[in-house]
Amino acid sequence: MNVKILYLYPDFMSLYGDNGNVRILERRLKDQGFDVEIIKRTITDSAITFDDVDFVYMGSGFESNRNLVAKHLSQFKDGLVKAIDDGVPMLFTGNAYDVLGSSIMTPERDEIRCLGIFDFTVIDQIEKRFTGDVVLADTKKNDVYVGFVNRAGVLKGEGTLEFYVTKVIGSVPLTKDGVRKNNLLGVSLIGPLLLKNHKIAESFVKTICERKGTEYKEIRYPHSEKSHDKTKKALLNAEV
Amino acid sequence: MKIRAFTAILVCKVIRGLAKLMGRGSSLPGKYALKICPDILSELKLPELSIAVTGSNGKTSTVEMIAHILKSNGLKVAYNKEGSNQIEGVVTFLIGDSTMGGKVKSDVVLLEADERYARRVFGYFHPKYFVINNLYRDQMTRNGHPEWIKSIIGDAIYDDMTLILNADDPLVASFGKDREGTIYFGADNLPSDTTTHEGIYNDGKYCPICKKPMEYEYYHYNHIGKFKCTSCGFERHDTDHTLTNMGESDGHAEITVDGKYEIPVFFTGIYHCYNILAAYTASVVAGIAPWKAAESLGGYILKSGRISDFTLGNVEGRLLLSKHENSVSYDRSIDVVVNDKRKKSVMIIVDAISRKYYTSDSSWLWDINFEKFRDADIDKIILAGQYCDDLAVRFDLAGIDSNKVEVFESVQGAADYCKEKLGSFLYVITCFSDKEKILSVVTRREIA
Ligand SMILES: [Zn+2]
Repeated sequence: MNVKILYLYPDFMSLYGDNGNVRILERRLKDQGFDVEIIKRTITDSAITFDDVDFVYMGSGFESNRNLVAKHLSQFKDGLVKAIDDGVPMLFTGNAYDVLGSSIMTPERDEIRCLGIFDFTVIDQIEKRFTGDVVLADTKKNDVYVGFVNRAGVLKGEGTLEFYVTKVIGSVPLTKDGVRKNNLLGVSLIGPLLLKNHKIAESFVKTICERKGTEYKEIRYPHSEKSHDKTKKALLNAEV
Repeated sequence: MKIRAFTAILVCKVIRGLAKLMGRGSSLPGKYALKICPDILSELKLPELSIAVTGSNGKTSTVEMIAHILKSNGLKVAYNKEGSNQIEGVVTFLIGDSTMGGKVKSDVVLLEADERYARRVFGYFHPKYFVINNLYRDQMTRNGHPEWIKSIIGDAIYDDMTLILNADDPLVASFGKDREGTIYFGADNLPSDTTTHEGIYNDGKYCPICKKPMEYEYYHYNHIGKFKCTSCGFERHDTDHTLTNMGESDGHAEITVDGKYEIPVFFTGIYHCYNILAAYTASVVAGIAPWKAAESLGGYILKSGRISDFTLGNVEGRLLLSKHENSVSYDRSIDVVVNDKRKKSVMIIVDAISRKYYTSDSSWLWDINFEKFRDADIDKIILAGQYCDDLAVRFDLAGIDSNKVEVFESVQGAADYCKEKLGSFLYVITCFSDKEKILSVVTRREIA
């Protein structure tokens, strides 16, 4: 059976090895017996359709690129919103999920209108970057996520944000992070977070299997699990 | 001169003298001077000639080569050679070289400047020339991404400076837009160039000015090459000084600059050649005759410690130093391995990403073109260190036969395996922060 991954802006939003997330998911879906087709759409495309796609991914980019994506993707908002409502699994990592909020304030005080799917705003500055390792608590799923944040700004609108930032090693002035709606997940962690958070990868694969009506096969990925355990231990033990 | 400035100079000189007596060099004297007189830098009288160098890679090498050329040609040079890349450091070394009246005695002041340093220090004085060599993804956990760094460097550029820019790096070259008198250096079409982009990501895909797609006639490496924006007209600028050829035969490497100056070099790694070219260009612009600059460079062997040969039991090997969190440097080491046509093994060590900080961030591993090993004649791939699991997943997805891959938590374990089992030449790729872990268990011979 064929599974379609829609990879958004792979050459425009690809700052932190974000390709890893798509490749990890592709690998896991193939292990489930699917044929995987990756559809790439970018800033120069005049149409982006979300019909018939089984997974949507977008990674981080330069702030200037993200701002252009906010405008570009707005043209296709109806399709995206429908896919979210239909329960299509999606992952937006790093600053990619900023475009799903209501607006971005640039350091030059220009306000960029975003898609408005979630009720938060992003306020960027240019003095220093907010970088650091973080531990996130997902209280609804009773899980813990680990990874790295590398941002130019802060998020305002904690009420809509999903996870509690329980530990920071570095300087990340966030107490909450991430959004979730149906099967869409947005989180500030950069790079291939599916490697270090195997449960998120598993949960996406399970959802895709369910939506495809195939039975999910339990497959272990020991290196991924060990990486999660090691990282979590190191972060929880680290002095701040 | 203000009394405070005089006191600051006095105190700085006294502490520096004491520190030297005790055999210690540090930026402590500058720290005290700054406490006494925070704007001490604008009180100093600098020589007519000052050159600052920045870029993601090769700042130290470039500065050392410029210093070497200028000194060989009879100039007295003051520079922050201890890598004291802090404002306290520059104060220390400038006062150390100045009279009690605050006049810097050297003919030239040479500064290695990272972007934050440049933004701060150039607020006090403007170097006459500012060399920008390259901008790419480097230690983004600390430095931020290239466009971020570009904006910080932008804050450090003033109208009275002359920029010396790498014409082949679009992000760097964009600093020269609408700036008369900018000097450009770059490479001609070289035999090792490619017409298609190699690498996992392409930071030259879109124009740094208008963000529309760019086209390349050829690539020297990564996004360095002959580019042209399809929309706004921004394109590679003609060069004032040019790497016209690069060749290697019987282990002797030579580059040609400006079509006529042949410079023997220890290794031809392309980005090392850019450092040489940058140093040559800066020196010529500063008034050294081109042939004299070329001649000085010919006699100069950079002590980089980047390559070490070793034996491990019966296994012969070579260590190629890269930088963690810098995919471009890894890509260049991978090229060395892939271009060696023997059957060989490769060990990748990622144990501590930095000596200074812990981070879980291994995302940069996904920016490195490990896929190149897939088609090379590789015997074994040995993945070692604390981040071996991250490496293992990365190599699995690079499509490399899992039978070739061995994973070890410890470098010692990996070394023991090689000693007992390996029957091929071994390349080790790692970073300065991890190199001692392997060098301490092998028999080594430093060659460069
Ligand atoms: Zn353009």
